[in-house]
Amino acid sequence: MKRIELLSPAGDIERLKVTLLYGADAVYIGGEKYGLRANATNFSLEQIKEGCSFAHNLGKKVYLTLNIVFHNEDMDGVEDYIASVVDAGIDAFIVSDPFIISYIKKNFPKVEVHLSTQDSTTNYKAVEYFQKQGVDRVVLAREVSLKEIKEIIDKTGIDIEVFIHGAMCTCYSGRCALSNYVTNRDANRGGCAQVCRFSFEVPGKKDFTFATKDNNLARYIGNLIDIHVTSLKVEGRMRSLYYLATVIGTYREIIDRYYNHTLTEDILSVLEERLARVANRAVSTHYLLKEADATDQYYTGRNEASNQDYLGQVISYDSEKKLVKFYERNYFKVGDTVELFTPKGDRVSIVVSKLFDEDMNSLDVARHPDNIYYLSLDTDIAIPSYSMIRLLHH
Amino acid sequence: MKVLVEVASKDISNYVGKCDALLLGLDNYSVLNTVSFSIDEIRRVILDYPEICIFVKMDKNIFNDEIEDLKKILLELNQLPIMGVFFYDISILELKQELSLSFDLVWSQTHMVTNYRTCDYYFNQGVQYALLSKEITLDEIVDICKKSSIKSIVEVVSLPSVGYSRRKLVHNYYEDSNTSGNDTLSVLEKITKKHYLVKEESAGTGFILDEALNGTSILSTLYEAGCNYILLREYGISSFLELASDTMNYVHGGCVDNSYVEKYKKLGDSTGFFFKKTIYRVKK
Repeated sequence: MKRIELLSPAGDIERLKVTLLYGADAVYIGGEKYGLRANATNFSLEQIKEGCSFAHNLGKKVYLTLNIVFHNEDMDGVEDYIASVVDAGIDAFIVSDPFIISYIKKNFPKVEVHLSTQDSTTNYKAVEYFQKQGVDRVVLAREVSLKEIKEIIDKTGIDIEVFIHGAMCTCYSGRCALSNYVTNRDANRGGCAQVCRFSFEVPGKKDFTFATKDNNLARYIGNLIDIHVTSLKVEGRMRSLYYLATVIGTYREIIDRYYNHTLTEDILSVLEERLARVANRAVSTHYLLKEADATDQYYTGRNEASNQDYLGQVISYDSEKKLVKFYERNYFKVGDTVELFTPKGDRVSIVVSKLFDEDMNSLDVARHPDNIYYLSLDTDIAIPSYSMIRLLHH
Repeated sequence: MKVLVEVASKDISNYVGKCDALLLGLDNYSVLNTVSFSIDEIRRVILDYPEICIFVKMDKNIFNDEIEDLKKILLELNQLPIMGVFFYDISILELKQELSLSFDLVWSQTHMVTNYRTCDYYFNQGVQYALLSKEITLDEIVDICKKSSIKSIVEVVSLPSVGYSRRKLVHNYYEDSNTSGNDTLSVLEKITKKHYLVKEESAGTGFILDEALNGTSILSTLYEAGCNYILLREYGISSFLELASDTMNYVHGGCVDNSYVEKYKKLGDSTGFFFKKTIYRVKK
C-alpha cells in the first residue's frame, strides 16, 4: 500500500531544504506571483529550480501554489509563468481557479493539479466535478469531518489532502473578504490581514472576537491513514525553521511509528507535548470529530505566545574537539538542560557545561541572537548542520 | 439591462412593476436571507405573478449528507419555469450536468467571480450568468461585461456580505461571555469605525457591512457596457420599493435621467470597490 505523504510548507529555499531533511515527503512553495502569501519571502524562478533539484535528488516533490483568485490583470502573463515553472521542475500546481486548471491540464498534462482549499470543497459531488476536469488531488475544506473525508474517498477514489496542523481560517476559505473591507488588503490574492483575529466593539458588552484555535490532528494520524488519505498537510509558509523542523520531525515520527506499530500512548503524549512547545496558540481538532463549537475558538483578540525554547541552529559538529558550532537564537546559559535534535530524528540531552564565543573565549551565557557560539558536547551521534538546539529547562 | 431584486418580504405583490426579476432564497439552501421560500411557495409565486422572472438562490456550502436531498430539490426546480439558480457550491453544477437540468445557472461564488476568462470557462460548462464579485473595480466589471460571453449580473445596492463561516460565532460569543441575545449582533470595527452585522443562522454565521453599497451612479456605465442585470438587495435598505421602482424606470429609460442619480445620493457615498482597487503586497 502506498504510504501517506507528509507535506510541508516552505517559505524560502532554506526552509525547503530543512523541512525535506526533517522528513517531509513533499513541500509546497509560493512563487513570486499568483500565490496566497504575497507577503512571504517566496521563490524566484532560479530558487524554484534549485528547490526542485534538491527535492528530486532526495526522491521528494515540490508543489507550487497558484491559488489566488485571479482578476483580469492577473491573467496577463500567467501562461508564460506556468510554462517557466513547469520547466523549472515543479511536480504539481495547487490551483483554485478552474480556468487555470483547464489550461494546465490541456497544455501540461503530465503535471499534476491539486485543487486548493480556497475552493472550500465539502462534498463528493463537487469532487466528482473537479475530477472530470482533470484534477489529480483535492485539498478538502477544513470544515469536513473524518466521516465525510472517508465517504468522499470511498465514492470518488481521488487523492485527498487534509490539513493536519496549523492556523485555521474562521470563515470558509475563499468565502471571506473581511480583509478587503477592513484593511483594503485582498484576502483572495494573498493579502489577508487576518481580520478574524481582530476584536470588535459591542456597545456595553464584552468585545466580539471570533478567532479560531490552531488545528492539531496528531492524535488522529492513524485514522487518516486508515481511511486512505493521500497527503497530510502542515500549514505555515511563513513559519520559522525551528517550528518547521519540530513539527515536521514530530509528524514524521508519528507516521513512521504508526506504520511500524510502535506508536504507544506514552510516546504519542511525548510527541504531542513536543508540538505543544512550539505552538503559539491553543489547539483543537475543529470539525474532524464533531461540529466546531465554542471550545474551538479563543476570545481574547490577537493572542500569540512567543516561544523561547529555540536556542540555536547547528552549523557543524567537530567530533574530535567535541564542539558544536551554532547560531544562537535565544538566550541560554551554562547549567541549562538542552536537547539537540537532528534531521534524522536523533536526540541528545545535556546539561550545558561549557560555552565559547567565536574566538573561543569561555562564557557563562549565550545572549546575542545570530552570533556564532560553540557548545561542548561529547556524543557518538552524528550532529549534522541544520540540527537544532532546544531548551528543556533553565 | 434588467433589474433584479432580492426580496426581504414574502408579499410579492409589493414588487410587481418595480423590477424585471426576483431573487428568492430557497429554504435550507441559501444563506443570509431575510425570508426564504419552499418549492411550493416558489411555485405559487410563479403562478400568481407570471410576468416576473424568478431566480432561485442556492448559495450555501453543501455537505455529503445533503446531496440526495439536493438532487431531489433540483429535479423539482427543473419542473418550474424559473430563469435560473444562483449557486455557490460546485455540486450544483455537477448535478445540473449529470441530470441534464434545463434551468440556467448563475455562478455566484461571492468573492471569487473576478475575471473574464474564468467567467468564460463557466460559460463553456453551461453556466449562463455570473454574479460578479463586489470586490472588483468598475473598470474590471466593464472589462468582464465586454470580454466574456457570460451574462453579467452586478450587485449595485445592498448591505454587502463580506464573509461566511460554518461556525456558530454569535452563539459561541454569548456562551463565552455568559450572556444571551439576538442571533444578529451589531459590532464596530475599531480602526475603520465601521459597523458590521454578524448574523447567525442554521448554516453558519455571516458578516454584513452595515453601510449601504450605493452603485446608483454607475448604472449608466454598466448599461453602456452591456451588463445584463443589476441586483438590488432589499435587506437593510430604507424606502427600498421606491428605489426599485425608480431604478427600473431609470434603467428602462436608458439610464439618461440624471435626476435619478441625484436623488439616490441620499443612499450614501459608499461605492465599495467600484473605484477603489485592493492591494495585496504590503512590503517589498
